[in-house]
Amino acid sequence: MSVEIAARRVPLPGVAAPPVIVDGMHKIYPGGVEAVRGISFEVADGEIFGLLGPNGAGKTTTFGVLTTLVEPTRGRAFVAGHDVVAFPLGVRRAIGVAFQDSVLDNEFSGRENLRLHARLWNLARRDAEQRIDALLALMDLDQRADDNVRTYSGGMRRRLELGRALLANPRVLFLDEPTVGLDPSVRDEIWALVRQLQREEGVTIVLSTHYLEEAEDVCDRVAIMNRGELVALGSPAELIETLGAELVELQIDGDPTAAARELGITLQRASPPLVRRDLVSIAVSDDAADLARQIAAIRSDGLGIIGSTLRRTSLADVFAHRTGRPLDEELGR
Amino acid sequence: MTAIAANFHRSSQRPTGLVPLYGRRLRVATKTVPGIIGQLITPVLWVLIVAPALADALGDFAPGVDYYTYAAIGQIVLLVPFTSMFAGINVIVDKDFGVLRDFLVAPIRRRTIPLANALGVLTVSWVQVVIIIGLAAANGAELDTSASRVVFLFGAVSLLGLGTYGLAEALAYRVGRQEAYGPLIPAIGVTPFMLCGGIYPLAVLPTGVRWLAYFLPWTHAVALVRYALMGTAESGLAQIWGFGAAPVQATLSLAALALFTALAWRLALRVFRRATTS
Repeated sequence: MSVEIAARRVPLPGVAAPPVIVDGMHKIYPGGVEAVRGISFEVADGEIFGLLGPNGAGKTTTFGVLTTLVEPTRGRAFVAGHDVVAFPLGVRRAIGVAFQDSVLDNEFSGRENLRLHARLWNLARRDAEQRIDALLALMDLDQRADDNVRTYSGGMRRRLELGRALLANPRVLFLDEPTVGLDPSVRDEIWALVRQLQREEGVTIVLSTHYLEEAEDVCDRVAIMNRGELVALGSPAELIETLGAELVELQIDGDPTAAARELGITLQRASPPLVRRDLVSIAVSDDAADLARQIAAIRSDGLGIIGSTLRRTSLADVFAHRTGRPLDEELGR
Repeated sequence: MTAIAANFHRSSQRPTGLVPLYGRRLRVATKTVPGIIGQLITPVLWVLIVAPALADALGDFAPGVDYYTYAAIGQIVLLVPFTSMFAGINVIVDKDFGVLRDFLVAPIRRRTIPLANALGVLTVSWVQVVIIIGLAAANGAELDTSASRVVFLFGAVSLLGLGTYGLAEALAYRVGRQEAYGPLIPAIGVTPFMLCGGIYPLAVLPTGVRWLAYFLPWTHAVALVRYALMGTAESGLAQIWGFGAAPVQATLSLAALALFTALAWRLALRVFRRATTS
């Protein structure tokens, strides 16, 4: 399944274009692995855009193309109006990147890391020093700025990398799995910082994550990827709306797959029931009462339903219904 | 925009990077006292202890040649490639610990990254060479040089340093892991020195090995260094080329070194591009 962009777009000279345009992009690595299969999407100015999906979905490759680390096999991508293949230097002038793994220079202090970055980005020395001080304060690192980064905690390193990515005042900030490997309180802290950056710096943010519940809170729009394809594109609310605001989860005593098949035939709903372990989930739109009556009738027919709960639909449910597989199965949980 | 984003300028739109990356490489090399001592101890020990000991044991191998000077100066061709090869470890560290990726998304031409590293390593090598020459002179080496011949010293050291660092970059990206790269340091950093006439003349080598030595950049480099610092007779250039006057022979050896360096860098840049762009 793939999501089509109706009109194929390339930025025109002198015309304000979205800061990120991906148009029919494929990436086949040597050896034949097709990591990205013809995806298209755009990111609007000032938006927080999430690339979501499990490991191997193609997020990192898409990130690599947009940050000029990977060359697409087919299709085109533009960042800040520059073709990522034809004018990578233009792209790199316009972006800041915080990678999933720490890429700090371990030989130096936090401040020295930022200074080197400022020089590579060709910032005027006095401006750079002012901005470094401001960013260190924003990232709450000013007290430890002159300590070697080897002594920093995981959260401090991530905050410094966010600050470094912002140093050259990028038009587009790329954050690859910004909260992976961090404990929950630090993850909350990082997301709060991301929101603050969008609000106060006005920067367009493209982030990738496999924490769908976190993306739901932070992102204005998301693209859900699975096995190299785009399976959903829109705001979290829009995507959840396509499924229904709530889900009924039925606990099955017996074969949940057989029960889901039977429920699918009986209920005839737009989204087929989905199996996750011993649970079968069914999307509820605006017909909760009808659905409850139907399920009660089925229950009495002896499908082995031993319990039911109603809960809010999440992006993980959207992923599961679009791909036919629960996200936690894809993540190997 | 906040105050953070305000009043913000770039120096220019020209891609830079050589100077900051060169500075970083030098700072990494000189960051710790053990690191500095490690880079200086070998030339100092060689000039003050090893070369005099070799001269006592093996001296007077050729009439009119001061063996202490011969061996002390010859060490340049051991130290420069060894420093280059050893610096290849930093390439792997930068790649493994990730800072390379930050450089790859910087608005600089990517070939600036290995070139800046090479210039940093070459600077360290030149400091070592100056120490060797200075200490050797202070310790009684019989140096005989001229402005025209010093050009060949500059060319030989720079080309050998750049060429062997090009090999180090290519090998570091190719093998990818420190444990696989480690054995290559003595293999390339030291072994050719044994064959190039660094501490004995090529004439004492078996014929087959001698012919192999003629094709080693190290051989041309040591001959050029001796030509620049000791004179025509001691250089060994005549033995390599067998024709022409000494300046012609020196120019040919310099050309051979330049060819080696060009090939090494062609390889290094190709491997670098493949390793950093998928």
